[in-house]
Amino acid sequence: MLEAWKIGFGRNAIVNSQQALRIKMNEVKKPKLYFFIGKGGVGKSTTSALTSVYFASQGHKTLLVSMDPAHNQCDIFEQHFSEKPKRVSDTLMVKEVDTDFWIEKYLKETTRQIKDTYKYESAFNLQNYFNVLQFSPGLEEYALILAFEDTFRKYSDREHIVFDMAPTALTLRFFSLPFITEIWLEELLKLRSQIYQKKEIISKIKIAGREIEQDRVKAKLESMIVAYESLRQEFLSDTTRVNLVMNNDKLSFSEAYRIRQKLADISIVIDRIIINKLKAGESTDKIENEFKEQKIGRFRLAAQGLSGYDELKNYIADNQEGFQGI
Amino acid sequence: MVRILRWFKKHIIEAFKISDEVMRAKAVETIEHEVAELDNIFGILVLGAFIGIPSPPIHITMELLPLMDKELDIMLDKVLTAHDPLGHLFSTLGID
Repeated sequence: MLEAWKIGFGRNAIVNSQQALRIKMNEVKKPKLYFFIGKGGVGKSTTSALTSVYFASQGHKTLLVSMDPAHNQCDIFEQHFSEKPKRVSDTLMVKEVDTDFWIEKYLKETTRQIKDTYKYESAFNLQNYFNVLQFSPGLEEYALILAFEDTFRKYSDREHIVFDMAPTALTLRFFSLPFITEIWLEELLKLRSQIYQKKEIISKIKIAGREIEQDRVKAKLESMIVAYESLRQEFLSDTTRVNLVMNNDKLSFSEAYRIRQKLADISIVIDRIIINKLKAGESTDKIENEFKEQKIGRFRLAAQGLSGYDELKNYIADNQEGFQGI
Repeated sequence: MVRILRWFKKHIIEAFKISDEVMRAKAVETIEHEVAELDNIFGILVLGAFIGIPSPPIHITMELLPLMDKELDIMLDKVLTAHDPLGHLFSTLGID
């Protein structure tokens, strides 16, 4: 008896140590994620580009991803970017997410699955409904989620992945998508499990104990919950850092305040406040008092605007304080 | 004689089997109706967008759609007979 317990414990110990090692390896390999969010026009793209160039110049392998459907990293770097990451320097790559590409890819995949499982005539009828579905609201943020997952999976060898997000509304929908989806999925799973239990009772009485076919919808719901939960954990992980960009003015201040509240509702914490377009000698006391728990990064106003890799590098050389404690 | 008895035995067993099946079916009639209704509710919840009812986030519908051909068929069929919901209920409960 004692021996059996020892063996069991030993085996468990091995499994546990393997797990620990795997987790440790993941931790080493896992890139840090930086999200740049904020009101339209405050300088999310510029500050995220600067931060990426800063990381890259420190020798870290960095990927900058533009998630804003109206991309402007191409203007900042004065280069053409696409879904495929382009190398800007030895350590920096930049890509622009094409939401239309992701929506189209997703719809094609779904159509293929429907054609596989549906009877010919019903698949044919369904096409009409389906054509309308693709214009449904909500697909845009889902495309962003797909792009995010894909990036995260494909480029996990990078040390830093910087996401230049869309303006507030779309970004908040992006962050809340896994949370809302999980609430829905859990309710649907409850109902589906209830149905399955009753079907089991029926089959027990009717066909005396023969097992009923496994419910594919239930299995799918369960696997979806697992996937969304891991995505949610990714957003809440301590390697994910949300940078809220704002200017030193009333409008962007009050929007920043609201963003913080909305994100707190879904337990996402803002790591850092970036005050952009600061003029010399300007006081930022009000922002500092309001956001006491966040680190503060200051970026001074670049009079001529910034464009081109060299200008970004020069700006960084003159403005090291913006990157302190990042 | 033995042959006749065997013949009787076989038929009596068959009769029992049939009556057993009928009894079993009767026993689950109501719960079957309930399951069918729950199935419909689930169908409407997930695929409501197809008949003009607010649905969950659209990607949930999209993910489950390939697995729900039966539910979709039933739901679209239900829409056509929606003017007479009581008729269906009465026939299930055996009220004439």
